[in-house]
Amino acid sequence: MQDNITKLFKAIADPTRRDIFHALVIATSALSITQISNQFEMSRQGVTKHIKILNDTGLVQMEEQGRNRFCFADPKPLKEVNKWMQFYAQFWDDSLGNLESYLDEKKV
Amino acid sequence: MSTTITKEKVFNHPIDQIWNAITKAEEISTWFIQADFKAEKGYNYTFSSEPNEKGCTTISGTVKEANPYTLIYTWIVADTNVETTVTWKLEAIGNTTKLYLEHSGIENYTGDTAIAMFESFNGGWDNCIDGLTAYLK
Repeated sequence: MQDNITKLFKAIADPTRRDIFHALVIATSALSITQISNQFEMSRQGVTKHIKILNDTGLVQMEEQGRNRFCFADPKPLKEVNKWMQFYAQFWDDSLGNLESYLDEKKV
Repeated sequence: MSTTITKEKVFNHPIDQIWNAITKAEEISTWFIQADFKAEKGYNYTFSSEPNEKGCTTISGTVKEANPYTLIYTWIVADTNVETTVTWKLEAIGNTTKLYLEHSGIENYTGDTAIAMFESFNGGWDNCIDGLTAYLK
């Protein structure tokens, strides 16, 4: 589990990979490596490297069609990142509830 | 994905009572976390969650603003070096007080710092949360 989170954070820590991921999220269809390289003016090799890292985290899924490989985005793994938000949201809810009880007790 | 948490809560208590509860060390220590705190701009505060055998964590930061009724401080968990910011604002509405809380900069936990954080806590974080929650109850 921890390894997945580490991989995920490493994957999205890179701005180019975030851009590629974003491009795939907003694309209406799966994109080939060539299409991505054209869009980012990057070598196929460079794109392939980034896609492999994104693919390892599950953020990008691959689909083979004949000789071409198409990539599409899968945002589900981002839930892991979101857990920090959830942790603090819960933490502050609990804390404010506690503040209220404290003030109520003081009032009496 | 929004990376700022905001909370609003209306209390049936006078504004000064709430201001004291969030700015005075002895009061913070009662309802929130054991605190070495002064509501003075530039004060480096420390919140320590109840120590246990797992060596629980501390939260530290610097008071950025402390004028009734706005309190702003940075919030750094243990030695993560990840700076987030907590803002408290109070507003009197009739006999009630509206409390507005904002915790921003949580996106800073992503990237390499988050990896360091996960590694340094190595499971201890969950225990800390449990300890904290139990303490708060």
